[in-house]
Amino acid sequence: MSDRELLELIERYHQHQVTSDERRMLQERMAADPVFAQRVREMELFTSTLQQHGRQKSLRERLNQEHLAWKLENQKAMPQAPVLKPRKPIQIFMRRYAATMGVAATVAIVTVFSSLLGMEMWRSATKQQTARYVELRREVDDLKRKQNAILNPNPATPKASATNPGQFSGTGFVLTSDGYFVTSYHVIEGADSLMIENKAGTKYKVEEIYSDQVRDLALLRVIDTAFTGFGKLPYSFKKKESDLGERVFTLGYPREDIVFGEGTLSSRSGVYGDTASYQISIPLNPGNSGGPLLDDRGNMIGVISGKMLGVDGAAFAVKSAYLLSLLEQLPEHRLPQPIALPKVNALAGTSRPQQLKKLQDFVYMVKVYN
Amino acid sequence: MISKALVTDAAIIEGILLDDETALSRLYKLHFPMVLFFVQSNSGTEDDAKDIFQEAVIVFYEKVKAGQLELHCQIKTYLYSICRRLWLKKLSRSSRFSHGMVEDTESELTPQVEDEAEQAEQNELKFEAMGNALAQLGEPCKTLLEDFYIRSMGMPEITEKFGYNNVDSAKNQKYKCLMRLKKLFFLDYQVPS
Repeated sequence: MSDRELLELIERYHQHQVTSDERRMLQERMAADPVFAQRVREMELFTSTLQQHGRQKSLRERLNQEHLAWKLENQKAMPQAPVLKPRKPIQIFMRRYAATMGVAATVAIVTVFSSLLGMEMWRSATKQQTARYVELRREVDDLKRKQNAILNPNPATPKASATNPGQFSGTGFVLTSDGYFVTSYHVIEGADSLMIENKAGTKYKVEEIYSDQVRDLALLRVIDTAFTGFGKLPYSFKKKESDLGERVFTLGYPREDIVFGEGTLSSRSGVYGDTASYQISIPLNPGNSGGPLLDDRGNMIGVISGKMLGVDGAAFAVKSAYLLSLLEQLPEHRLPQPIALPKVNALAGTSRPQQLKKLQDFVYMVKVYN
Repeated sequence: MISKALVTDAAIIEGILLDDETALSRLYKLHFPMVLFFVQSNSGTEDDAKDIFQEAVIVFYEKVKAGQLELHCQIKTYLYSICRRLWLKKLSRSSRFSHGMVEDTESELTPQVEDEAEQAEQNELKFEAMGNALAQLGEPCKTLLEDFYIRSMGMPEITEKFGYNNVDSAKNQKYKCLMRLKKLFFLDYQVPS
């Protein structure tokens, strides 16, 4: 069967003008031959599309007319009200990423400013630190204390507290031979009980008589029953201010043993222009606080109080004049009898090692328990 | 409200069946603004809306004409769903970012709508392919085929109009034209598998 005959047959088939024989033949052949069936179906699709095309063309024209009519009617009513202009690529980009960009920008701003602020704070903190005044009270190493306790187990002695080195330590020196004793206020600050111990191992229990927080001085008294007196003091106390450039030295307990430090008097005022203190150029460490400052002739001229961190060779000592004025001002019930200060100086004129030998019995480590 | 809407729907369907011109224009006026709004608020233009809506209306119209329409809802809902589906498909195709289909979360009558949308798209493709094929076919083939298939003229009339010797040569001519058109048509249009 040629294509043309087939076409006509199919056309007649669709117009229901086929004989029943022809119809049956067509259907049988379609069932038997898939390629033929495909051809028939294609033909059908094609012709129906062609016919539809005509119909739809007129329908579309009518719809377009309707659209125009609608447009004319509505154009005035809603003059491009919701009509959005076609956007440029940059606008689309902005619309899509505006939120992300906003968040990113916020994060960036916050980061920049917080880091700037942080750096500024850090700088000012370190600046503050470089010029910080520290009190030289020594915190006793807890670990070391425990190790000592393990290394030197002493179960035989019932006085367990005797081996306890205390929480803090500083230095102090004898004021009078009958048991008065001076150290810095910050050494004994918050103390429950106090012990003093010198290089020879002599220990006394002391109590606080008076503290001056402003001048950073503390007056103690030995209350030990075994105490018989310190003996004759080798140094005397200087009332007048010392001169710039004078050679000065101190003894103290920045560690378990007594340590000598020497330097010069570098300024007659202390930290922040405090006229109650000297600035001295002696290398000092925590534990030196409360130690005596003596000049070449063996006069007590001050009490070591602290140093500046980050400033080279700047340590400070409270002037002896203030110690003496404190003693004068003390009320009667605090200081029962007038204090007999040593008047004679046994150190003047002797060499430094000789001076130290005499001195070291009168400089004690102050142990603070709390 | 509902009964009124239903009455309107029934009137429109009846109008289409009776070839009433006003039915189509009422359909347009009633439902186009909704589709326009939807398309415009989803980054489309008025022309996009027009095309989409017309595709949907053609499917609707032909179904009504063929008596195949199974309407489970209002015409408004029906048209809106189809338009929505068509527009989302179009968007997803033109979008750089979504590779798959757009997930339609709102559709209430998915399977039917899917069919109708598919049909509308195929219809559009066929129409375009046929239009192109006819344009390429040239005269007198185009007129001949249009006369026979679209204007339903009889072969004798055509023989007379085109001045053929007899009906048989007219038929032969028609056959040749048709085969050429068919070739052109299937170049453009792939039968969906």
